[in-house]
Amino acid sequence: MMNPSPDISELISRCALRDRNAFRDLYGRTSAKLFGVVLRILKDRAEAEEALQEVYVKIWQRADRYVQGGYSPISWLVAVARNHALDILRARKPVNDDIDEALDIADGGPDPEQAAMDKGERGRIDTCLATLDDDKADCVRGAYLDGFSYEELAARHGVPLNTMRTWLRRSLIKLRECLSE
Amino acid sequence: MSDGREHSGGPEDDKVLVAEYALGLLDGSERVLMAHRVATEPALTVEMRIWRDRLATLDREFAETPAPHEALGRIEHRLWGEAIDQRPAARLKNWWNSVTTLRGLAVAGYALAFVAIGYIFVQPPRVDPNTLATQLVAALQATEGSGVEFVAFYDQGSGAVRITSLSGEALAENDYELWYIHGDAPAVSMGVLPVNQRLEIPLDEAAKSGIEAGTTLAVTLERKGGSPTGVAEGPIVAVGKITPI
Repeated sequence: MMNPSPDISELISRCALRDRNAFRDLYGRTSAKLFGVVLRILKDRAEAEEALQEVYVKIWQRADRYVQGGYSPISWLVAVARNHALDILRARKPVNDDIDEALDIADGGPDPEQAAMDKGERGRIDTCLATLDDDKADCVRGAYLDGFSYEELAARHGVPLNTMRTWLRRSLIKLRECLSE
Repeated sequence: MSDGREHSGGPEDDKVLVAEYALGLLDGSERVLMAHRVATEPALTVEMRIWRDRLATLDREFAETPAPHEALGRIEHRLWGEAIDQRPAARLKNWWNSVTTLRGLAVAGYALAFVAIGYIFVQPPRVDPNTLATQLVAALQATEGSGVEFVAFYDQGSGAVRITSLSGEALAENDYELWYIHGDAPAVSMGVLPVNQRLEIPLDEAAKSGIEAGTTLAVTLERKGGSPTGVAEGPIVAVGKITPI
């Protein structure tokens, strides 16, 4: 069976075998997405450029963990990038490897299953976010996509910090219930 | 939770904490602590997976933005610099670089393997007290698709790796080939693996220095007789890190 254009998953596993061409190929196909992730969260181009380099160093070094982890490939890459950007944002420097420990949690599901689930779940988060008040749904999206902290969200919505915590935690409980329906 | 500040503990609060962690709302020690708990407490691992998988559908909203031109060169410099050329394995680099032309031979349909490490208990060896020979083990456990599992055992005193297939069937058209990957050096072949029998692989000096705790072992599916180029051509069916026992 010919496979002239290896998929992202295969490229990552090639990185685990220390295949540099696969790494370059992977970079070519995913760097725009990951740069988009770190730039949106860090909101500073120079900082995002530095973060992007660190992210790909991590990807090369941890490729074998992806092979074990059962993530869908692009989700794993985005998670590495997002996590790294959040580390920088929260601590102004990467905290330590403990944070990335959580990236390695295996789900026991192979890629095809993951892909099927992604397909099935697509729209679910949107459906569930739509059950929240608009401003609360905005907070959830702002936290995930922009890396906003409770403090930033409180300031943006003009409410006290504790009010924001209460809002968002209640929203998360509601969201969680909807997601498992 | 009425004061909006404290988590009072318990499963429900844990669920909220996982959600906050998944969204990136925790910081400082809370974030580090949850990262650890999510990785080590099964109930929280399950909860984290749910959030992780559902939230990942928002990833599409990260707009693609071309990365700066010089970034790849800088990454390569960080990763490999010039030092790599001084490694013994550097001579394999050219073989390795030819992999792109050969990758087309990859056999599809074999899912990547998941690996369980460190749960293998082996009878303690009789060790000469004058030597500090270390015993190392790697479990290579495949799931979907290949159904092939191996366990590898290395006694540095003997200078040979013993590997046994635990399950899996021999294939008419293909062979399994074992590789070790040490640091950033390209994978080095350790030969074709028979299925359903034990194999002892004597190591040369380069392999002895390259195989240690932390080295990765991988099994790929290759054409009959193994890859003719010294470079893996087929998909990985099992992979695992070597750990001391």
